[in-house]
Amino acid sequence: MHFPSSLVLRARKRPEFGVFVGFLIVFTGFTFAAERFLTFDSIAGIITVAAELGIVTAGITFLMIAGEFDLSVGSVLGVSGMIFAITAAAGLPHIVGLLLALVAAAFIGLVNGLLVVRTGVPSFIITLGSMMLWRGVILAVTGGFPVRYWGDSGLLFALNGRFAEQLRMSAFWFLGVVVILAFILTRTRYGNWVFATGGGPQAARTLGIRIDRVKIINFMVSAVLAGLAGCIQFARFHSVDPTRGQGLELEAIAAAVIGGALMTGGYGSMIGAMLGALLVGMVRSGLVMAGAPSYWYQAFIGIVLIVASVVNIKLRRWALG
Amino acid sequence: MNGNGFLVRMEGISKRFGTVQALKDVDFDVKRQEVMGLVGDNGAGKSTLIKILTGVYKPDSGRIYFEGREVSFGSPKDARDLGIETVYQDLALIPLMSITRNFFLGRELVRKVGPLNLMEHRKMDEIAAGALREIGVKVRSPDEPVAILSGGERQSVAIGRAMHFGAKLLILDEPTAALSIKESQKVLDFVLEAKERGLSIIFITHNIYHVYSVADRFTILEHGRKVAEFAKGEVSPEEIIEIIRSGVAKVITGRCETCSG
Ligand SMILES: Nc1ncnc2c1ncn2[C@@H]1O[C@H](COP(=O)(O)OP(=O)(O)OP(=O)(O)O)[C@@H](O)[C@H]1O
Ligand SMILES: [Mg+2]
Repeated sequence: MHFPSSLVLRARKRPEFGVFVGFLIVFTGFTFAAERFLTFDSIAGIITVAAELGIVTAGITFLMIAGEFDLSVGSVLGVSGMIFAITAAAGLPHIVGLLLALVAAAFIGLVNGLLVVRTGVPSFIITLGSMMLWRGVILAVTGGFPVRYWGDSGLLFALNGRFAEQLRMSAFWFLGVVVILAFILTRTRYGNWVFATGGGPQAARTLGIRIDRVKIINFMVSAVLAGLAGCIQFARFHSVDPTRGQGLELEAIAAAVIGGALMTGGYGSMIGAMLGALLVGMVRSGLVMAGAPSYWYQAFIGIVLIVASVVNIKLRRWALG
Repeated sequence: MNGNGFLVRMEGISKRFGTVQALKDVDFDVKRQEVMGLVGDNGAGKSTLIKILTGVYKPDSGRIYFEGREVSFGSPKDARDLGIETVYQDLALIPLMSITRNFFLGRELVRKVGPLNLMEHRKMDEIAAGALREIGVKVRSPDEPVAILSGGERQSVAIGRAMHFGAKLLILDEPTAALSIKESQKVLDFVLEAKERGLSIIFITHNIYHVYSVADRFTILEHGRKVAEFAKGEVSPEEIIEIIRSGVAKVITGRCETCSG
């Protein structure tokens, strides 16, 4: 009797406890509400949607733990996807295009980070500006038309090829990103600095942590992962729309918050981010399969977000006394 | 000037925050293996003075010598690297992080694996728990978040951390403010023990009886100026309290900085 109760006691103290329970509830709900929900194809479809969103969510969570915030990830995803598509269409080697796309993302992240730490303007404002700026650039450069490219390559397959029915390579990228970031957060010295930077910037600075550097690096990580997601998405659709990624920033932030990350920084986990993204992906597919008009998706995510935030706050108070 | 007897000398330190002159031309020094009591009323400039010494603030003017060499701290890390460890009044703890993570923040024990600095969690847990046990804090587990600790326990964590890392100079800014009588006594014992081990200590408190029991010398600040400096034998606790209350040192014989020669 003692062992399981202490296990629950320990589990509830983890940031991802709430989303884990929520995940199970929604999963069970859809299993009964939608006939074809519990099939390989349907699960694979959920993972494909969740993987692309989840890579962005993981990056945002990493940044949110450091106490900052990034609204520009949707635009960065668009910029990187567009660079990859345009260079591929122009006949450049795909690896070059991919690297260019990621370097561009890193650059945008660097500028976001530098502006935030140097000016002291909240990241919400800076990255809102960045989001609009880069979306505008995409629209201007493409004249509003999508870019298509029908070629193929090993790299494109590695990014997002289909290898078993609906299951795609993006699942491995998603898993890899989550595992690496989780490892950095929990096992490395840098992870300690990330939590400290978000959880108590003044104290962290006093103890000699270079919090500005941590923030800039995390802005870059968040942007590069959004860029990677853009390239992965291009490998799936073989085209990039100028509006690609629009609205995704909000979905990713919602998934991060559902996953237990605190908007105020210093708290969150990669397992939570992963479950948050999977939960959002599951809601999207599940509602369609349950026969609900797809319009209901946003409303449902909104409810999940609010319920999750309330539950997460209660859980944290409960765990932290 | 900077004889071997001195670990720290601060000369002509001034610091202004906007319209507030927090410090004006303050000289301050601490000898090796000495406990220096730094006292004065609220807002006298005590915390500001030690924050300049620990690299949190840059002075507007003045010089700092550490072990006879002039130093200029760009950040708190520079001061920590020289062996200056501080328990700040605000404790510098991060509530959402575990005791161990707080204990070793900026000083993590790591094992290098390729480009990665992997934290030695188990070793750090053991050391943190041991250091806290030594100062008499019972924590259920060093990976509990600091948020669940009481004020006194938090203060003990900050003190335990400084004690553990304090190589040469230990600065305690109001270390007993939130502590019970028993816990306070432990801190005072520790100050003497640290001195025994060869450390110098700067002890800031409003409790004159606490500081009087451990300090070798006292520096008294008032409105950002140094009004007096005494060796322990030259003054009684009641006289120190009187100086702080009245803001003048004339009443006392001994070395008095503001009295005209
Ligand atoms: N960061 C700051 N910005 C503006 N003013 C400050 C700052 N830090 C200190 N001051 C001002 O400088 C003066 C000295 O403050 P300080 O904290 O050094 O006093 P103290 O002697 O430590 O007081 P206490 O005993 O209350 O801790 C006060 O008037 C305070 O308001
Ligand atoms: Mg003070």
